[in-house]
Amino acid sequence: MATTTASITLTSSDLLTDELSLSATKTLHKAGSTVGLDQTTGMTKAYLTATTQVDIFPTLIEGSLAFKGKSSWVYISNESEDETEYVIIKVSGNVIGKLYAGDFLWMPWSMAEDADADNKHADIQLTPSVATGMWLQWCMINEGTEFPTSV
Amino acid sequence: MATTTATITLSSADLLSNELALSTTATLTLAGNSTGLTSAAGLSRTNFTNDPIQSKVIYRSDDATADGANKVYLKNLSTTATEYFTVYIDQEEMGRLYAGDWAFFPWSATSGTKETFIATIAGTWVAGESWEFDGVKVYAANTTVADIAAQIDAEEFPNWTTTRSGAAVTFVARKAQDAGTVVTATADIVIVQSGGSDATSVVSSAAMGTATESDIIVVPSVVTTMDLEHMLLKQ
Repeated sequence: MATTTASITLTSSDLLTDELSLSATKTLHKAGSTVGLDQTTGMTKAYLTATTQVDIFPTLIEGSLAFKGKSSWVYISNESEDETEYVIIKVSGNVIGKLYAGDFLWMPWSMAEDADADNKHADIQLTPSVATGMWLQWCMINEGTEFPTSV
Repeated sequence: MATTTATITLSSADLLSNELALSTTATLTLAGNSTGLTSAAGLSRTNFTNDPIQSKVIYRSDDATADGANKVYLKNLSTTATEYFTVYIDQEEMGRLYAGDWAFFPWSATSGTKETFIATIAGTWVAGESWEFDGVKVYAANTTVADIAAQIDAEEFPNWTTTRSGAAVTFVARKAQDAGTVVTATADIVIVQSGGSDATSVVSSAAMGTATESDIIVVPSVVTTMDLEHMLLKQ
């Protein structure tokens, strides 16, 4: 069993009157257990040169009955240094938000199928704001992946 | 300008053959520039104890600037490994937060549109006649329609904001939502006339609202008590 921890600190001395100093640390477990997550896609570093929407985990079966609702954690960071550049993040075709230069996200992912049943499935999709090239990184740490059968 | 930083650290000595040690720090800024975020819906703790299980809207799209560089922090404070919150953006399931799990993600806060209409006070009024809408009742202080409109505009309506121009009061819903196919005011404004009066309130320029597209909704997994910690850093 692997032990993987995810920590966050949020700090600010001047956002509020009181100092903000928030920390949270969590060992990543399989759904409903204390068994550590033991699988990962590994870190992807990509240079996207079009404003085309892309599926960042194209090789797994989203909506997999085997892993729907299981524990999957996704990290995405926008490595751009141009503050005007962003990437739109969607889950199941629904916009979550925009990651501007230097921003990151850490979110759970159910791999649940699109509630609209319009064939988007559970894809996590990125759309860069510019076609001039943006560096992005992403990875998933999870408890299992169902891959398509080769034909 | 405030300076707020978020740092994530992912670490593991045994997930892979090579040690995982990732650390990223982001200074939270407004969309498209380097000015720091200046607003927050501070750290909150929300209890869920409902039988049957009920969802709660943690943040409404109206709470933040649409398409802004908003960030959401969520943490499941449960210590029972099997207990989780399911997080939805609008109607789409994002994922589950099991005991102790936290998440930090951007939020576009894509709102719908707010229903609006104009109520124009017209006709001949008699002092003391009443105009009622959204649970608020106004008694005409005199017979001047502009004055009555001013009285209406001066009220605080639970679900609407108002502005006035002459005898016309413009109502805008506080929340974006799809209220159906009938303009709320058409059905709900009530005028109580006294004998011989033709006091009226004419509704015009009505526009239906549309539902929001990115409210953050959280559903607990059990009916027994669960607590969610959350914070919105917003543009």
